[in-house]
This record gives sequence, C-alpha cells and structure tokens, in this order.
Amino acid sequence: MELLFRVVIFVPVLFLVAVVVVAQQHATAQSTLQAAAKRSVRWLVWTAALLVSMTVLELLFIEF
Amino acid sequence: MADSNRTDPQKGNGLPAFIMGFVPGLLQWQLGQKQQAVTAFASCTAVLFVGWVVVGERLFYWGLGVPDGQSSFDNFAHLGLPVLPEVLNLPAQVTGALMAYDGSATGLRMQRLPRDLEHIAGWVTAASGMLAAFWAAAGHWSLRLRRDADGDAARLVANPALCAALSWIVPGLGHAKAGQKNKGALMGAAVAAVFVLGLVFSGGHAVDRAQYGVWWIGQNLFGGGSLFAALVTGPMRSVETPIDLDLGIVLCTVAGLMNLVVMCDAYTVAERSVFPVRTEQAANEEAMG
Repeated sequence: MELLFRVVIFVPVLFLVAVVVVAQQHATAQSTLQAAAKRSVRWLVWTAALLVSMTVLELLFIEF
Repeated sequence: MADSNRTDPQKGNGLPAFIMGFVPGLLQWQLGQKQQAVTAFASCTAVLFVGWVVVGERLFYWGLGVPDGQSSFDNFAHLGLPVLPEVLNLPAQVTGALMAYDGSATGLRMQRLPRDLEHIAGWVTAASGMLAAFWAAAGHWSLRLRRDADGDAARLVANPALCAALSWIVPGLGHAKAGQKNKGALMGAAVAAVFVLGLVFSGGHAVDRAQYGVWWIGQNLFGGGSLFAALVTGPMRSVETPIDLDLGIVLCTVAGLMNLVVMCDAYTVAERSVFPVRTEQAANEEAMG
C-alpha cells in the first residue's frame, strides 16, 4: 500500500518536473506538454530499469 | 552585415565580472550607472539589516553547518560565509558577521534561541541575497548589451534580470513579461503544484528555516512559496510529526530547484529577444557576408 502511494505521487511529480525541463526547448505550452509526456515515459522506463537492477543486485549480494 | 571583429554573444563576461557580481552595484558602478549602483547597494544592505534586527546572530545557526566553537568550520561561520543565500550579498553579510558573531559558549547558545517573527525575518535576510543576485544578473546583462548588442538592444522585450526576479516570486511571471504567457503559466503551475503537494504531505511543516535550514536553501529558490510558508505555515505549532514529513520536505525542495530552472529560462527567453540563437545555416550565411 505504501509502495502504491509512493508510485501515485512519483508519476505526476515526474511529469511536472519534465514539464519544467523540456519547456526550455519549447516556446508554447502545447508543444511543451507533448514533449513532457514523451520525456516522462522515457524517465519511467529508466526508473523501472534502475529498480530492476537494484533488485537484482540485492538478490545477488544480500539475499544469497 | 557581417562584422568579423564582433564578439561572439555566446561568450561569457569573464571571471573578474563574475567576482564583481558579489558586491551589489559594483558592476553598475563600473559601467557608469552610478544611480543604479547606489540603489543596488543600498537596497541589498537595507533589506539584510531589516531582517537582521529581528534574527540577529540566529542567522548563523541557519548555515550549511552548525558552529560548535572548536572546528575549523567556525572560521567560515565567523565571516557568515556558510549562510545561503545571504552570502550572495557579500559585503553586508561579512560586515554584519564580523560585528555580531560571538563564538563563545554563550554566543553559540544565543544562536539556538528562537526569536519572535524569525520566520518572516529569515525570509527577509534571504531576500537580500536573492536581490543581490538579481542586481548582479542585471549588471552582467548591461555588460553584454554594451559589448555585443550594437543596434539590437531596441528589440529587447524585457530586462532578463527583472524576468528572473519576477519568476522568483511568481513562477512563470517572468515568461509572461518576456512574451511567453502560456508557457509561463504552465511552468508556474508545475512548480506551484509540486510545492503545494509538499506542504500538504507535511501538514504545512516542510518549509521551516528554523527546523530544516539546509533544505530551506533549496526551497527558498521559490521565493513566493517560501514567503507564503514564512507567513502562514511556518509559525504554525507542530503538535506531532506528520508521517510523510520527509516526502513533503523533498517535494518542496524539488519545487524550489524546478523554479531555479524557470528563472534561468525566463532570463534566457528575454535575452534571446536581443541575441537569438543562431542556426548553423545563418552563421554560415553571416560568415559569407
């Protein structure tokens, strides 16, 4: 439940951070929103990859 | 018309100009803007000492480390250097610290003693540092205009330093001033949303200079938000620690760092009205004459 809560917070905050980051390369709100959505997806993939790697490292070095 | 002697507008102003930026008004003085120089110095100094009257030596307790009267860190603390963002207003901060810092056991105990109205006074002293930074930015902008602009200055939509300062108080306002209203509103809403989330999760206790001074340095990059917190949520009594206080503190700090990006972008948007980004093709055409 706690993890779900953290994910529910993480995703929109990630999008809002992406809005500010990509806005520097755009002049209008519409193009900024489109680019922010794409960037958020990319960051989510990286986050998932990071989580998987950390879990694998945990399994390898802590649990075994 | 191509001019081979013209300086590349992407080039910085150099280290001496950067160092001069730490003394409010010095850049303006060098540029012959005597009235602006005096205004910059007087405003930054006055704002710092208005807050200082209330917080006094407690200001040293809000630095990057707590002086203990023994370590070498105390040498920096004695000059007021670890206190951000006040240190950006270097002359007033160092002068005040040299006059008021007391490294004795009694003096260190006094630093720990809460004061009435310390939330708002702490914001005011910090505002002096931010004000000094914006005056420095204005000086750098004047320097670049004089060096590179020629007749292009007429295209300026707004002073970039003013746009950055406006965004410090209300994120996105600087963009509106520079002509990008929709984008400014979107960026401002993003910063404000993250900040409000942080306040909600922490029960309003995330932004408190007296409690979380180092986090507050980042949170204060959203000046409007930290002002609201200083006036409304900061003085609230904390009955028990909210369960998501850590999350709230991080979110408010992230909002402040996001606003740093917004301020820089507002400066850039205004700057590009005079110095547009040159495409490779345009640069080639200019070189060909």
